Amino acid sequence: MRLVNIISGGLRALFGKQRVEQELDEELRCYMESAVEHKMREGMGREEAAREVRMEMGSREALKEQVREVGWETRIESFLQDLRYGLRMLRKNPSLTSVAVLALALGIGANTAMFSVIEAVLLRPLPYRDANEIVRVASTWDRNGTLTSYTSSPPDFFDWRDQNRSFSSMFAYHTGEFALTGQGEAKRVRAVMATAGMFSTLQAEPMLGREFAPEENRKGANHVVILSHSLWQAAFAGAADAIGKTIQLDSEPYTIIGVMPADFRFPLSGSDAFAPIGFDDKVMTQRGAHYLAVLGRLQSGVTLAQANDDLSAIMAQLRKLYPDKDGKWGVRAQLWSAALVSDIRPALLVLLGAVGLVALIACANISNLLLARATVRHRELAMRRALGAGRSRLVRQMLTEGLLLALLAGGASLLLAHWALVSIVHFGPADIPRLASVALNGPVLAFAMSMSIACALLFALIPALRSSALDAAGLLRMSMSPSREAGRLRGALLVGEVALSMMLLAGAGLLVRSFVGLSSLSPGFDPKSVLTMSIAVPDAHYKNSAALQSYWDQALTQLRSLPGVASVAAVTPLPLSGDDFSSSFRVEGRSVPEKDEPSAELRFASPDYFRTLAIPLRQGRAFAEADRLGAARVLLISETASRMFFPAGDAIGQKIKFGASGGYEKNEGEIVGVVGDVRHFGVDAPVPPTFYVPLAQSGMDSAAVVMRTQGFPAGLMQAARKVVQAIDRDALVGEPVPMETLVSASLGQRRFYMMLLGGFAALALILAAVGLYGVISYSVAQRTQEVGIRVALGASGSDVVAMVMRQGLRLAAVGLAIGLALALVLKSVLRGLLVGVSATDPATLAVTALVLLIVAVLASYVPARRAARVDPMVALRFD
Amino acid sequence: MATPQKPGSVVQGTLDMLILKTLALEPMHGYGVGLRIEQISKGVFQVNAGSLFPAFRRLERQGWIRGEWRATENNRRAKYYMLTDAGRKKLKSEAREWQTQSAAIARILEATSGEV
Repeated sequence: MRLVNIISGGLRALFGKQRVEQELDEELRCYMESAVEHKMREGMGREEAAREVRMEMGSREALKEQVREVGWETRIESFLQDLRYGLRMLRKNPSLTSVAVLALALGIGANTAMFSVIEAVLLRPLPYRDANEIVRVASTWDRNGTLTSYTSSPPDFFDWRDQNRSFSSMFAYHTGEFALTGQGEAKRVRAVMATAGMFSTLQAEPMLGREFAPEENRKGANHVVILSHSLWQAAFAGAADAIGKTIQLDSEPYTIIGVMPADFRFPLSGSDAFAPIGFDDKVMTQRGAHYLAVLGRLQSGVTLAQANDDLSAIMAQLRKLYPDKDGKWGVRAQLWSAALVSDIRPALLVLLGAVGLVALIACANISNLLLARATVRHRELAMRRALGAGRSRLVRQMLTEGLLLALLAGGASLLLAHWALVSIVHFGPADIPRLASVALNGPVLAFAMSMSIACALLFALIPALRSSALDAAGLLRMSMSPSREAGRLRGALLVGEVALSMMLLAGAGLLVRSFVGLSSLSPGFDPKSVLTMSIAVPDAHYKNSAALQSYWDQALTQLRSLPGVASVAAVTPLPLSGDDFSSSFRVEGRSVPEKDEPSAELRFASPDYFRTLAIPLRQGRAFAEADRLGAARVLLISETASRMFFPAGDAIGQKIKFGASGGYEKNEGEIVGVVGDVRHFGVDAPVPPTFYVPLAQSGMDSAAVVMRTQGFPAGLMQAARKVVQAIDRDALVGEPVPMETLVSASLGQRRFYMMLLGGFAALALILAAVGLYGVISYSVAQRTQEVGIRVALGASGSDVVAMVMRQGLRLAAVGLAIGLALALVLKSVLRGLLVGVSATDPATLAVTALVLLIVAVLASYVPARRAARVDPMVALRFD
Repeated sequence: MATPQKPGSVVQGTLDMLILKTLALEPMHGYGVGLRIEQISKGVFQVNAGSLFPAFRRLERQGWIRGEWRATENNRRAKYYMLTDAGRKKLKSEAREWQTQSAAIARILEATSGEV
């Protein structure tokens, strides 16, 4: 009842405003008349009585305002009024408005873009039902106290899956590729090989057909495949009768048993087909072969910690049962969503912090502009105050103006953010999961909106509180001669801006320096003019290793004969390709328990590999054509491996036997030479100890060819693919890629972080320069008279310039000093992002400070020049 | 809704109760209410228009009083305020509350040193 009254009363006042106002007016008049009559009855004259009543009642407008403010409707009304008024103020000062909107739009836009990256990569739930129950289970290896996650072996996986009490389901998978053949040129099919638990763990089902059955995870029974929606569309035009048909994958028949829905993506980078892993009978003996990724779904009510305890207990048991293979392995369960981004999250959070500073600088900037304007506006505010506007009313009005400004900027920022996102999608590194899916979606828009409002509060509150704290007389005084205190506040804001900019610039400078250092590092080979192309041949076409080897011989010979090709070789896995192959090994004559055996990377290479990539031979000999099947097995060793395993320098002549990992069991050989190190995992990653095995002694069905060309002759790429396809049309031949592209891509994440932080720092610099320029210009305008007097008294133009610039540079210098101190904080923040550069690198800090100083000089020089041109006569007549 | 209070004027919050009480006697127009409060309190409370009219608006919105335009004794149109049923209830509870409190305050103020 009361609520109804309150609401209806308000609505009546809002819509029947005129009548309500009229009534109030009439009521007050009636009150006055009654009062006058009363006083007259007490013996006063009419004139005198009326005067006294007016005195007693005070301003009628103020009184009416008080009555109006009782209802809630006046809040809306005054808000609309403020809005209209604010719009008029913004229109009246187009230059202030555009500078403020632009500065703020840059700040909010950068934040919105950064937040959308965070949203897409870190915050957005994974596209599976109850994705927060999905856990990545990894084998761990204790490396000097830090646990490193690895893939797991099939027997370990089976034991975890069958013995745990925490997971409702668990599956193992690895990715690979098939050549889709039988329809002209072989097409690349990105495949996931998984165990049957995949569907229940991911809680996804085929839209057509069925899932794998557990018995299909056996070699021989595993030639069934589930297609992705897109492959089904491409190969079968979406026909429902595709189920039961056969397709040729790697020249072997696979029966299509299902099709996944269009929105199913696994792994997150996408794939085209899903097939069961075909484990052979010996699988339970391959406990050392770590090549499976494992995901599980937690039972409801089971915590991650409980799951970890459960798995650790099982693993402890396995370590006891299989001390040779499992003796040093542990296990760790992590939320999958967290595990996916564990190495990316810290960098993104640092960037989010940096971009937040940019917004802070933008706010300080606008606060400063508004403070300067507030001085000019004090006369207007004094008037409003005198007419009866209360303090809160003035604060509200100024906040509304700020909000208006911020919302305009927020709108403009979306445009900026959109452009930023387009370039992020285009230039962003491929190895940040889901980066390509950034979008201005609901959460991002909400962020931009709240960011705008928060900024408005931040930058409008200081000027609003300052102005409204004064009464009418004080405001009027302020409008005549601005106080020192206002100048100090503006100076302090500017110092803050410069300090934060200095910090951001220093951070960006350090990243640039670290990046430049990394870029100049050699990957261990010469990538210039080298083209690479991956080839996978269908096993089914080649009876044995000798048949495979003759394929490689033929391919290399054909490629070598192409015009513009200087030398050709084959290798697997290719450096910087992301693929890798490692194995434990034992040195003949050294007796070490199996669990303590060292491990190293293995590469399979043709004889010309070292010459083609210009990897230097340090000792002994490289591979020769004669190192083939049937000949004595030989090995090369990298410098790092030689140093690690044969510190006495006696590597050559040693006999090595490799362990069982990855099914590469029977290989052994004698070391015949030492070659230079190759940074296989990226120029910024540690150099792995590596052994090389002759490709011709290993029977590989896939490898990458590397071709050193004479300046990438036109047409070579197509020609190279053609000659290789002509040998076996079912072979899967990749697009040729310049080796330099791989080198550059290996620094993709670092380049991305550097460019983002660099962009933010550039924004900060621009904002700080605008802020400095604004403060100095304003103070020059304020001091026109003073300058005029000085010039009249004989000060030269350069005296005036020096005087004005001293003021600007003093503020900048204080900001720089504080910024340098703040930059020391970067040390802990940037540690993970810097390689080869100390976070307190004096050269970088000096250059940064210099850049900022130059900008400060320019930003104060322009207004200083203007001051020097002041005509003393005009100046003295001023105001 | 902070209405500025000058020293010597009615304590915020009690004004509403005084108005309700005054109107409980008979419907009155604005000036009459102020005058009546001043007379009954023997000049202790001087209620000015700046407090009175916002209070009327407030009480009206709450549904405790309602206004009606009538002719005055001098045959002028004036807005007369009267108590609603809800207002009557409100007044009763306010008065009871006030009596409890003022009695308690009086007891405290009259306490002798022995009691404290």
